[in-house]
Amino acid sequence: MKVRNLLPDIARKTREVDHPFYSLQREMNSLFDNFFRGFDLAPRGLAAGVFSPSIDVKENDKEYMIKAELPGVEEKDIDVTVTSDSVTIRGEKKEEKEDKDKNYYYMERSYGSFSRVIPLEGEIEAAKAEAKFKNGILDIKIPKNQSAKAKGTKVPIKAA
Amino acid sequence: MSEKDLQKTENTAATERIRNVKTFLPRVDIYETKDALFLIADMPGVDEQTVDVELEKNILTISGRVENGRVQDYSLVFSEYEVGDYERSFTLSDEIDKDKIKATVRQGVLRLELPKAEKVKPKKIAINAA
Repeated sequence: MKVRNLLPDIARKTREVDHPFYSLQREMNSLFDNFFRGFDLAPRGLAAGVFSPSIDVKENDKEYMIKAELPGVEEKDIDVTVTSDSVTIRGEKKEEKEDKDKNYYYMERSYGSFSRVIPLEGEIEAAKAEAKFKNGILDIKIPKNQSAKAKGTKVPIKAA
Repeated sequence: MSEKDLQKTENTAATERIRNVKTFLPRVDIYETKDALFLIADMPGVDEQTVDVELEKNILTISGRVENGRVQDYSLVFSEYEVGDYERSFTLSDEIDKDKIKATVRQGVLRLELPKAEKVKPKKIAINAA
C-alpha cells in the first residue's frame, strides 16, 4: 500500500503534480489504495489515500488554539471531544455518490473516516472549549486551567 | 499515512506574488460525465469572495487567497500545514461550453461544472429500416 514510500523523498517533493511519471505513479497508487480500501484491510486513517486532516496547534499563556484543515467535510460530520489532557477530532469526509457514470482523470483528493487525538500538556478546561467551523477549517480554542492546582503553589523557604 | 501525504504541494510555477505567502497546488478531482466535466478542488480557508476562476483563451486558472494564519502572542506547539494561497492552471479543450461554466464554493471546496459543447456530445443516430 505504501508504494510511494519506496521512492526517494526529494524526487517526489519537486513538482510531483505535473510530472508525467509521478502522475502515473499517483494513478497506480490510488488504484491500489482504492482496491484495498474496499476490503478494509488497512486500518482506517493509516492507509495512504484515506483522508486525514492536517492539524496546527498553537498556544499562549491562556489557551490552546487548534486548527484543522477539513475541506469538504460537513459540520454535522465532525465530532470534537475534549478530555482533561487531550482533544479528539473525529469525522468523516463523504464522497459524493450521485453519478455512477464518472470517468476520472484526476483523483488527488481523499475521502473517508478520520480520527486524530491531540495530546495537550498540562490541564485544560474542557468545559470551556469552543469550536468553530468555517470554509473547511476547524478552529478549536481551549482555555488552560489557571487554578493553583494546575500551576503549582510556590512554597516559600525560610532560613532556619 | 506517511508524513508527505499530509503536506500540501507547493506551486513552484505560480507567478510571483506581491503578498509574501507561499502558493500551493490545490488537490483536485476531475471527472467526466456524458454532459460535463467536473473539477473539484480542496482549498481549505477560501470562500466565495477569495476564490477566483479565470478563463483566458483555453487556460483555466483557479486561485484562492487565504488570510495569513499567523496570530499574535501564540507560540507554535506543532504544525502540519502551512497557510498560503492556492493556484493551479489547466488547459481546456474546445469541447467546453465556456459560457455555461458554473462554480460554487462550499466548506473550502471549489466545485466547477464545465458543460460540454453541444457539438461534441455523443449522439445516437437512429437507424431506419430500409
